[in-house]
Amino acid sequence: MSSHDLFPCMYEWMSDMDVSLAGNLRRWAESELMEKRLELKEDYAALLAPAMRKLFCDIGLQRLFWPEAHGGDGHNSPSAAYTMVAALEQVARGDTGIALLLSSLWALQTCVATEGRVNEEACEALSPVITSNDAPAIVSLVLPLFRDVPQAKAKLSRGSWSVEAEKARPASSGADASVFAVLCALEGVDDPGDALGIVAIPGDAKGIKRGSAFLKTGLAADRNADVEFAKVKAPEAMCVARGVEACRAALAWFYLGVSASNVGALFACHEILKEWGDNRVIKGKGNIFKDNPLTAAVMAEVAKEISVDRLLTCDLARVLAEPAIYGPAGSEANFVTASMVAHQVAQSAEKAIGNAMEMMASAGYATEWNLERYWRDTKTMQLCLGPYELAKMDVARYFYQSQAR
Amino acid sequence: MRTIDDFTRPLEYLSPLDDPLGKIVRDWAENYVIPHRRKFDEDWKEHALIEPAFKKLMGELGMQRVLFPEDLGGWGLGRSNYVGTASYRLFEEVARADSGMAVAFGVVYWPMVMIAMEPHVNRELCEEFAPIFCNTTEPRFAANAMTEPQGGADIENMEIVGGSTIQTTAVLDGDEWVINGHKLWPTNSGGVCDLFGVVCTTNPGSRDPNDFAFIFVPADTPGVTQGPPYQKAGMAADKNGDIWFENVRVPKSYRAHGPGLDLMYFKEVISFGNMGSISFVGGVMLNVFERLYEFVSSETYKGQPLKEHDAVAGVLADFVRDTEIVRMCGYQYARMLDRPDLYGPRWSDEMVAKGRAIKYWACDQGMADVGKAMNLMSSYGADRDWDIEKHWRDLKIVQLWMGGKQLCQAEVARWFFDLETV
Repeated sequence: MSSHDLFPCMYEWMSDMDVSLAGNLRRWAESELMEKRLELKEDYAALLAPAMRKLFCDIGLQRLFWPEAHGGDGHNSPSAAYTMVAALEQVARGDTGIALLLSSLWALQTCVATEGRVNEEACEALSPVITSNDAPAIVSLVLPLFRDVPQAKAKLSRGSWSVEAEKARPASSGADASVFAVLCALEGVDDPGDALGIVAIPGDAKGIKRGSAFLKTGLAADRNADVEFAKVKAPEAMCVARGVEACRAALAWFYLGVSASNVGALFACHEILKEWGDNRVIKGKGNIFKDNPLTAAVMAEVAKEISVDRLLTCDLARVLAEPAIYGPAGSEANFVTASMVAHQVAQSAEKAIGNAMEMMASAGYATEWNLERYWRDTKTMQLCLGPYELAKMDVARYFYQSQAR
Repeated sequence: MRTIDDFTRPLEYLSPLDDPLGKIVRDWAENYVIPHRRKFDEDWKEHALIEPAFKKLMGELGMQRVLFPEDLGGWGLGRSNYVGTASYRLFEEVARADSGMAVAFGVVYWPMVMIAMEPHVNRELCEEFAPIFCNTTEPRFAANAMTEPQGGADIENMEIVGGSTIQTTAVLDGDEWVINGHKLWPTNSGGVCDLFGVVCTTNPGSRDPNDFAFIFVPADTPGVTQGPPYQKAGMAADKNGDIWFENVRVPKSYRAHGPGLDLMYFKEVISFGNMGSISFVGGVMLNVFERLYEFVSSETYKGQPLKEHDAVAGVLADFVRDTEIVRMCGYQYARMLDRPDLYGPRWSDEMVAKGRAIKYWACDQGMADVGKAMNLMSSYGADRDWDIEKHWRDLKIVQLWMGGKQLCQAEVARWFFDLETV
């Protein structure tokens, strides 16, 4: 039984296509990544880049949620949330970093191309990148490092945005981005509710200066770097999310992607731990590891975390997929829910994989067993969410009308 | 401005070496390790950057000699009544810079605990092996070859399995031991070891303590093969690998003490391993404090330093609380090792259990706290330039070694609650 079937999931909300896609991506993960990684480790050029190209371009995940009118597959209704979860679970099981890149890409696509509010001009501008058959569409989200303080500002003048940031630290992909999605403080805007926006900027725009990719804990597929935006120009329509609610919606979708990616990493963790528990002998011959009550109790905790995380992620997908029931993705309630789920699942993944490593002792931290990479990856991904202590202020504001900032 | 020297030390029982050795090692760390450590991960196999720092600390400053008797070129620490507290400070200072180096350095002492410590100094073996470490300015490494492929930390779980799972055999043939077996994972293996302390059985499958043997094997003895180092999540400065012993012959006198006594004093090795592990956690947390202090003071949120946000301050306070507690518990346990006249033999089940308890508490708390520190730093938490993520990866390894948490739990519960089967 695969982890996809083993852990609880609200299958009634998923389409046949979602389940079929998950099966295909499971096979992609195994053939393109898992069978090769003992030899290739986390080699970007030899392992990760080819796998990414196949996934994004050949299989076509970068076109999946893009409107048909702009060369995509047209699966761009809110119900795509279930598809995203089904896909990201399997992608992250193979490589969590690639799943993060997809999460960033799809978060931008929900701003630009969701059915009923397609930004035609932005779609036109971004289509060459999104529908490319040759190069993965890499989106770098430049989000606030600390809760609600943007790293960039943008000013509208004569139908064009001018974006500035001295040394922005993207959530991902600063070194490789084909598109930057920069959350900016909008200047010269009359309505304070409109003073935030996400401006989409092609990676080769004039005035963008990228630093070198920095070394980091995990997510090797994501090559990140600081980026300077020096009066970078973008047409007015490239502000693809305007106002607090629209920005929150983009973040809510990104948080869904992060949660689903963590669940996929946990699937891999379960498989590795299961193999260990089935075969390891302790206290002499005949004592199978998983049959010891002390270790079985810890293994049970790992399974509990995975199950609950998956259910929470499914629930968040439901909230975003059904605006008629739960309201718009960017409402305060839904944004806070997405934030809580993402932080909860990220912390839970850190705990569960940490516990699994403890079960495996030295094998837990040996690269040969692969578990340690998921531990590094999920921790790195958790940090893309920003400090939890500051995110709690949004939760307190919604539930208690706290004015704490 | 507060510094790491504002954390509490037990002034009334610090060793006389605490201050001078602490200063020497801190100076070494600042000059030979901290400027280079961000490149250590890529140096895991070659040790081109790491080796010069070891040479300075262990060979030129002479830290690899400290445990041996003075008349053999050592510093006599093994015969002092402050070996625990002095070692604690040394290891903490090294770990502040790099806990992988701290364990590699600490494990040079580890097999010597069997032969260079009062009241069970084996003078003959000290004379035999002291020249390896004392007559050179090059770094020399020792390793405890304990773990085996079939059962991992079962070797250390002596109370329950009683040595019955050990598959490395030692057979007396005239005046020589003939050793055969396969060991995994010792610190300072992976090709760098000069002297192994090998855990063997003289009667495979036996639970008789008399059949447990701790035998020294110079690494250049015919029949000893060291495999290449493993790649790990962290601790690049510590090489680990396979070791094969094939009909390895060493003199009969290379057995540390003999039937019964080898096992008894081997438990002292575990006590020192626990003390060392706690000191590594403490050293890591001190450096994380330094780096975190800089980050939360320089980064701003809504016009103020990040540290001035009340909720952030709560996390910072928890970090300091736990660093203080690790330091106090660690020094206290080291003091207990220094004073067997008050606290009982260092090899007693009581001392092992108490060391295990503090070790696994410190590791769990350290992991949680350093993880939260990374979280406060947003994406910078994963950035190697801020050093904290390296400490987080390294600390996980401290948490997992020596049988990990579950063996600690079993030994603690067993001693305090008189368990008979766990």
